[in-house]
Amino acid sequence: MNFTISEEQQSAQQLAQQILSDFTEVDKLKAIEQQQKNFDADLWQALAKAGLLGLDIAEEQGGTGLGFYSLTALCEEIGRTVAPVPIIPVLVSAAGTLRRFASDTQKDQWLPGIANGTTLISAALEEYNNDDPTTPSCSAQKMEGGFAISGTKICISEATSVTRILLSAHTGDELVVALVDPRAAGVTLNPQLVSTGETRHELVMTKVQVPTEDIIATGSEALAAMNWAHQATRTALAAVAVGLCDKMMRITGQYTSEREQFGRPLATFQAVSHRVADCYIDVECLRLVTQQAASLIDEGHPAKDAVQIAKIWCGNAAHRVSQAAQHCHGGTGVDRDYPLFRYCQWARQIELTAGSSAQITGELGQAICAEYLSTTT
Amino acid sequence: MNIELTAQQKALQQEVREYMKTVMTPELLEEIKIPEFKEGGGPEFRKQYARMGADGWIGLSWSKALGGKELSHVEQYIFTDEVVRSGFAYPFLTTESTTPVIAANANAEIREEVVGGVKQGKVVIAIGYSEPNAGTDLASLKTKAERDGDDWIINGQKMWTSLANYADYVWLAARTDPDESKKHKGLTMFLVPTNIEGFSLTPVHTLGVRTNATYYSDVRLPDKYRVGEVNEGWKLITGQLNIERLSLFTHGQVDSLYQGVCEWAAETDAPQGGKLIEQPWVQHNLATVKSGLEVVKLICWKQVWAMDQGPLNMADASVAKVYSSEFFVELYRLLLEVMGQAGTIATDSKGAVLKGKLEFRWRVGPVLTFGGGANEVQRDIIAMAGLWMPRTR
Ligand SMILES: Cc1cc2nc3c(=O)[nH]c(=O)nc-3n(C[C@H](O)[C@H](O)[C@H](O)COP(=O)(O)OP(=O)(O)OC[C@H]3O[C@@H](n4cnc5c(N)ncnc54)[C@H](O)[C@@H]3O)c2cc1C
Repeated sequence: MNFTISEEQQSAQQLAQQILSDFTEVDKLKAIEQQQKNFDADLWQALAKAGLLGLDIAEEQGGTGLGFYSLTALCEEIGRTVAPVPIIPVLVSAAGTLRRFASDTQKDQWLPGIANGTTLISAALEEYNNDDPTTPSCSAQKMEGGFAISGTKICISEATSVTRILLSAHTGDELVVALVDPRAAGVTLNPQLVSTGETRHELVMTKVQVPTEDIIATGSEALAAMNWAHQATRTALAAVAVGLCDKMMRITGQYTSEREQFGRPLATFQAVSHRVADCYIDVECLRLVTQQAASLIDEGHPAKDAVQIAKIWCGNAAHRVSQAAQHCHGGTGVDRDYPLFRYCQWARQIELTAGSSAQITGELGQAICAEYLSTTT
Repeated sequence: MNIELTAQQKALQQEVREYMKTVMTPELLEEIKIPEFKEGGGPEFRKQYARMGADGWIGLSWSKALGGKELSHVEQYIFTDEVVRSGFAYPFLTTESTTPVIAANANAEIREEVVGGVKQGKVVIAIGYSEPNAGTDLASLKTKAERDGDDWIINGQKMWTSLANYADYVWLAARTDPDESKKHKGLTMFLVPTNIEGFSLTPVHTLGVRTNATYYSDVRLPDKYRVGEVNEGWKLITGQLNIERLSLFTHGQVDSLYQGVCEWAAETDAPQGGKLIEQPWVQHNLATVKSGLEVVKLICWKQVWAMDQGPLNMADASVAKVYSSEFFVELYRLLLEVMGQAGTIATDSKGAVLKGKLEFRWRVGPVLTFGGGANEVQRDIIAMAGLWMPRTR
């Protein structure tokens, strides 16, 4: 047992903090929000130059190979600064899966470009009412030289600008993980405005032909790949939530210490300070379960329960901390000239991405049932 | 970052678990059915406590000079966790929190008598802090000790002096500076032998456990029983309270309740057919318990790991106390709901589930939210030490 973060990881996190704080001043965030796309390309290049896009990409493909845990530490910093970059779809769901499940040729083809910031690959793990990429309703039909994929995926980041989108479909007998070119024939992208304020896309595929070289895995390998992607994505969302919630709570602690009503700082009312203290407890609990899930994945150990628990806490803490932060600010908190609203928008988005707390509590309950029914007779 | 027990730590866990099975003898299981002995103090309890001493299990965390093994906090926690899980009324507050303070501050003769006695499993110490009018605001206590030659004359009343009915000493906080405005700067610590003249007690029966009111009427106590300097008692009290919390909120005791209810629900038929555990609402409660329990485990590990690295962060210690005490209460309810009416059947009555352990546990739940440092005060500490917010009024 060791809760220490290695020196390399610490310096990567500090570097990230430096870069992110430069790029996420309120004026910059506002300017990006005026753009058509909510993506700060300069920040992405700065992260690439610092080697931070390659934290979980092997050295052979131009990364630093520090591993998944370090990547979640970067996620936390992204959350703390609400930086407009698609870190989870590109670096976790797509690159992380490619690193572990793609062929050497595919890794050489895609990962160096992701690490140096010249290539973007997004991921489409969710469908309507289905966040589990191991059971997609999208279908794949084997054909000469590859597969033809049909069906719909939703809320995809950067769908119009990426080179490929990683997704899964099934043939009836087996699962297929593929990289789909969003410009291929049979692809329609429909804009979807989501809670964060950004435009994502619905991807409708009608017999989109995917050549064999873009098929990442099939059968049991594809299942393992999507299980990994699902767990890693949930854990990374929880890590972003740690940063988000920590920051919302600190903004609130500071605001209520300065704002006076009835002739005294609001924070000197126990009802107020205790609400913020409860956020502190939530953040600490969320941090611990997230660190546990991230370190298990990092070491390649079974992480299913730990990930479910982390995402349950993620949804609950994101909701509670966000609402407490809003409440304790009064009107200032909802004003779009004050930074808090961005955090609250992200909190809601993350809460409902990759499975809500209620849904995952249900999943965990079923797993507990199966475990005890099999051991008790 | 690696949040798992090492092979060595797992082996220690297993060793203590096996040993504690031999401590919970059939005689002891019978003895603790007698209300008077539920919290320990019966002859079989005394016998097993002394056996633990003889077998070298007491004082593992103490310095080698005191005959301890200087176990790390992580190892010490593994030990505590297993002992609490076993259900043995091991006097943790004696062994882990008061004795080390006494060892560091008492004179040589008393150190030998008390610390040596604890090491052998022969001495139990009750804690005499609270009074009828001094609870959370402990420093307002009024029991006084006045110097008379080589002795002290003690007068006053303590409330909630748990275990005093069989303890050998009371670890007593008394006012030695008559100026009450000095509050915590006028307190001194004493060890009062419970067979001394002028000491008496009456039982206090609570919702759950039995505790005591203790009375000190012209108790003449030799100065050698004073621990630490005169009027310097407060830092001994706070040092002790910090360690106390680590043995109150351990994971194993509640994890075993969760596992017990899961097993019970997997064996029990649901009226609709199938087993109870197949009902969605049961699964919901069990999953909610499991995700909260995981944090209890991680908080405990993180705290003991941090204590091995250096002093414990104040806000973190308060987070652990508030979260665990409130989650325990929640866990009791969620598990009792699964059991329904069967959850109301008390220990030893026909139909009791898990020997009625949960029917008993909910009764002691609230004590931990206001006791051991009231949760409001802990939240004040979190706001100040963790968030730099101003003091509340
Ligand atoms: C079963 C049991 C065993 C015990 N064993 C021992 C023992 O062995 N030795 C011993 O010395 N004591 C013991 N105690 C006493 C225990 O430590 C006290 O009950 C505790 O300190 C709280 O004090 P109180 O009961 O006087 O409540 P009070 O201090 O009167 O508190 C009442 C309520 O007010 C709240 N409150 C208090 N201060 C504040 C504040 N600043 N802001 C907001 N809210 C506040 C509390 O949280 C609580 O909800 C025991 C108590 C029980 C019930």
